[in-house]
Amino acid sequence: MKPIRPLLLTALLFLATRAPAAEPSLTPDGFALPQPGRHFVFPRDHGSHPEFKIEWWYVTGHLFAEDGRRFGYQATFFRRAADRPKNAAAAPAGGQIHLAHMGLLDTKTGRFLHQERVNLEGWDARASTTTLDVHNGPWSLRLAEAEVMRLAGSVRGDAQFELELRPRQPLVVFGENGVSRKGADAGAASHYLTFPRLATTGMLTLGAERLRVQGESWMDHEMSSSQLAAGQVGWDWACLQLRNGQSAMVYRMRRADGTADPFSTLAWVSPEGRVRHVAAADFSLTPLGQWRSPQSGAAYPSGMELSAVEPTTGQRVRWRLVPLARDQELTGRITGLAYWEGACRILDERGADIGSAFLELTGYSGDLRQGLR
Amino acid sequence: MSEAGLLRLLLVRFSLRHWRRGPGQALLLVVILALGVAVYFSIRLANRAVLASFERFTEVISRETDFVVSAPAGSLPESVLPKLRAALGARPVHLIPVLETTAVRARGDAIEELGSGESFRLVGLDLVGLQNLREEDATPEPVRAEWAGGLGKPNAVFVSRALGVPPGSELRLVVDDRIVTLEIAGLIPQRRNEPAAPRALLIMDLPALQALAERRGQVDRVEFFIEAGPLRAERRAEATALIGDAAQGRWLIATGTDRRASGALMTRAFRLNLTALSFIALAVGLYLIFQALDGAVLRRRQEIAILLSLGVEERTIGRAWLLESLLVGVLGGGLGALLGWCGAQFAVRAVGRTVNVLYFATSAESADLRWEEIGWAMLLAVLASLVAGWLPARTASRLPPAQLLNRFQAAGPGSRVLRSGALVVVLVGLGALAAAVPPWRLQGGARIALGGYVAALAWLFAGGLLSGYLLGWLGRLLRPCGHRSAMARLATSHLAPPSGRHRLAAASLACAVAMTAGMAILVGSFERTMQRWIGATFQAELYVSSRGAENASSQNRLRAATWQRLAADPAVADANVLHSADVIFPGGPAALVGTDFRYARENGSVAWLGGAPEPWPDAGDAAFVSEAFVERFGVRRGGVVTVPTPAGPQTLRIAGVFADYGSERGTVLIERTRFLAWFQDDAARSVIVKLRDPDAAETVRTRWLAENPGVQVFTNAHLRAEVLRMFRQTFTITYALEGIGVAVAVLGLTLTLISMLLDRHADLTTLRALGVTRGGIARSTALEGAATALAGLLAGLAASGLLGWLLIHVINKQTFGWTLLLAVPAPALLLLAALVLLAALAAATAVGLWGANLPADREE
Repeated sequence: MKPIRPLLLTALLFLATRAPAAEPSLTPDGFALPQPGRHFVFPRDHGSHPEFKIEWWYVTGHLFAEDGRRFGYQATFFRRAADRPKNAAAAPAGGQIHLAHMGLLDTKTGRFLHQERVNLEGWDARASTTTLDVHNGPWSLRLAEAEVMRLAGSVRGDAQFELELRPRQPLVVFGENGVSRKGADAGAASHYLTFPRLATTGMLTLGAERLRVQGESWMDHEMSSSQLAAGQVGWDWACLQLRNGQSAMVYRMRRADGTADPFSTLAWVSPEGRVRHVAAADFSLTPLGQWRSPQSGAAYPSGMELSAVEPTTGQRVRWRLVPLARDQELTGRITGLAYWEGACRILDERGADIGSAFLELTGYSGDLRQGLR
Repeated sequence: MSEAGLLRLLLVRFSLRHWRRGPGQALLLVVILALGVAVYFSIRLANRAVLASFERFTEVISRETDFVVSAPAGSLPESVLPKLRAALGARPVHLIPVLETTAVRARGDAIEELGSGESFRLVGLDLVGLQNLREEDATPEPVRAEWAGGLGKPNAVFVSRALGVPPGSELRLVVDDRIVTLEIAGLIPQRRNEPAAPRALLIMDLPALQALAERRGQVDRVEFFIEAGPLRAERRAEATALIGDAAQGRWLIATGTDRRASGALMTRAFRLNLTALSFIALAVGLYLIFQALDGAVLRRRQEIAILLSLGVEERTIGRAWLLESLLVGVLGGGLGALLGWCGAQFAVRAVGRTVNVLYFATSAESADLRWEEIGWAMLLAVLASLVAGWLPARTASRLPPAQLLNRFQAAGPGSRVLRSGALVVVLVGLGALAAAVPPWRLQGGARIALGGYVAALAWLFAGGLLSGYLLGWLGRLLRPCGHRSAMARLATSHLAPPSGRHRLAAASLACAVAMTAGMAILVGSFERTMQRWIGATFQAELYVSSRGAENASSQNRLRAATWQRLAADPAVADANVLHSADVIFPGGPAALVGTDFRYARENGSVAWLGGAPEPWPDAGDAAFVSEAFVERFGVRRGGVVTVPTPAGPQTLRIAGVFADYGSERGTVLIERTRFLAWFQDDAARSVIVKLRDPDAAETVRTRWLAENPGVQVFTNAHLRAEVLRMFRQTFTITYALEGIGVAVAVLGLTLTLISMLLDRHADLTTLRALGVTRGGIARSTALEGAATALAGLLAGLAASGLLGWLLIHVINKQTFGWTLLLAVPAPALLLLAALVLLAALAAATAVGLWGANLPADREE
């Protein structure tokens, strides 16, 4: 799966209904559920799917200026169908809420900038249903030409970036037969589409500096209507881009008792785009230490260790995902729900840098249910 | 001894000794200065509070926006919003669409007094998008969905804490011609270090207000907020330019400063007039301080001679006098600031009421006192007292020893120049020339009659000088009375010729009387003109409008269904439906009104200036403009006017000019069918109704009020009375200011008499020794005081004739563009004269009684 914002998760925790035993096609409130064997058609399926309750387009990446200065960035666009209003006259246009997050880490200064934005669907926030074209305020992600995406983002008035994202690998679809399961409930699933390697170029304005940057990004597009199960309190998610061309996506669903949900998954992606899923029992994701946020007070793992069998060598590896800066927490000034999402380097057992990763840690900042009340 | 030490010694032993021995006089001096400062200060505070409330409406929620886009006429369709965002590209800018309307609290009874209802401004904002501004907060605050309770509820409203109504309760309002019940979803959040939301501000979710006001798909303006960052200034300039390019003249772009300035600009002339009036008391006070200190120099000259003989330098003596003036200034300023702040609490309502009637909605109910304002009041008082004290200080330090030792020398007759008759003629001529100067035109169409103010000053000064002449003449006239009474002889001996201080006292009274009487002439003329205008234009039996239409800034209107139903009532013989919109001309805002030209022609309901249009124009491209519009925009009958409309600019021929005393911004009348075609909005501002049976007006009114609880219906007589009442109400503060000016002048006369009796204490002792009774001395003083007051009064009334003419034909005409008929309110002027004379007589008698008891060795 691709990480989902805590607000949406919490909403889902409240709204999720127990799925019937047979594979349903709709939730009780009429939203679509992911169906096996779905045939995706592009560019239409890069666009919005309002028949699903929740959808997001999630870009994370690593950028380098011409002088080698390194940045990590995140750009996320969420769409969620609004609760049915009691009075149709006052219903928000389109009945959709659009939430977006931007984050930027400057490794030279260690400064992490972030911002969130929320709008109802309408003139200042929208998502096309025919192609990739999502907007939220001045932020946008759109398909400019065949599979070339343009991302425009900013973090308050401090940073602004305009990037071109060009796939180096074909699109992959995670999950079994096009459906990525998240929990024991049959409805707790999503359609999960990913570009694991996007060559990235563009301009970054940081303060008064204007920098030409290039690097590599990862983009997820995920749609669902009820994908989380009761009892889950958060998750740890990471995407890995290895120097040898291999990529990986891993998530560990955390249950209230601290154990990992059996529906946690590791997926290896070969340079050619072939996906190989690993069951929860065959890998582990273990916190390396702890970092306490001075803003939210939440105690996050200060990095993770991934233990799994590397498919090309068949050897079990123990790789450490080490954050480029400790403070990469998005404090959620609008929604009030904090989470950690940051750029990491991947170190092997000998300490060698073997690639870049993005790590997401949610559910560490208090009770998500309280946050929504 | 150092000079500082010597000065301190002089202050304590020399100056303050006199204060201790005559505390009443010192107190009077301080009170006079304090009153002068207080009046000016209270008007300044009230003006600021009213303006600040105008700003607060826009800034309490959206902060200080960088610029605002609005339509020159009507509202903006929501379809412009994506265009504005597209024009900005990825630049980090918040766009905040705003819809505004007005409402009044619903009441059970019929409205008898316009403006008596509690008015509100209903502001519609995108409560979800508004959350994004949280990111601009410098410090994170506890996060809660502040507006969550208002989402998805059509009647949810947020109110200010000042309204004192708890969330969960209901608020019944009149919006347009409907009574609606809103549910209070919460209180408007207040940020640290930001002003509290005004009581009259109500906030709703934008779609909810659009539905409530039946203005779906419309916004009144879009506010732009550049996100904080190091390039904010550059981004602001860039964004303004980009939006300017995208606007292509279709939209208006104003910066936050422009918007604040527009409120200031709209009311500048009004505020300037008030400020000028508020200076009367200060100017009179200034006169009196000068006079009091000058008198003190006279009385203390023996001490000055002793100090000089002891080796104290002249310069040091001069400084000691200035120091005393400074002390008066500090005490007067402090007391003045306090009194002014108290006065401002009353003045702010009076100023706010006028601004509400004439300009824009304001919610100011109290005036804040800030340290910088107190500092300003102190500075004003200190400067005033230093200016007034400078000449006496100079005199004190330069008096020749021989003169100093002459203890009983009387006060001099004053400067030769100030006694020159030629100067009076020159001043009157100078005033006449200044009155002919055209007004100073400001951005936004406001005009300031600078020449008129110069003429007023010149004529006031001339009136002051004239009072000195009259005083001498009165002294000579009264001299024969001395043959019958020794006391009368004593009194007249002081007046022929009068001393400089007698002249000054008379002059200050003349100044106050001239301004008060001049303003009374203006108000009297205005009222007479209004009555004629009302008589000519208010011909119908009933006048119908929204119950929420309580003042000039009200946006409440009659919906088409309502006015169509009323117009179709069998009791109605004819009806004129008026539609209106505020439009922004290149020179500033004015009103565009759609009316039925046929009705105007058949019923003669327009007060034409220069005669009715002949031949009656074809409605197609004709417009009638108000006199204020002509003055403001420099157009003329027979010329053209280009009116901005949602259908694009329309050029119309000016077929006639009419009088309109209800608006100083100017009005353009067009045929209502054209208005409807251009604005696509059939809600009406009001309906003028002629009944089949004119005697049935009250019956029809009662029936309509019962059938339409959201409308107000006035009969002809009631509306006429209301218009005149509101008109008089706007002059309340003027009367108050002038009353204080006259009071200060009478106080000044009292101080003058006290001061002169102190000068003559030796004479008084001798008179008492010769057997003159206290009553005799009091009578003498009363005669002296009454003659001085009479001289001031006569000169003041003479000057008021000139001032009245000036106010009517120059200052009012240039500032507001209204032609008024001159009318002298004789009863009011007689009452003023009687009051001034009685007050002066009473004060002089009291001073005389007090003076008769002065001990022989009392010097001051």
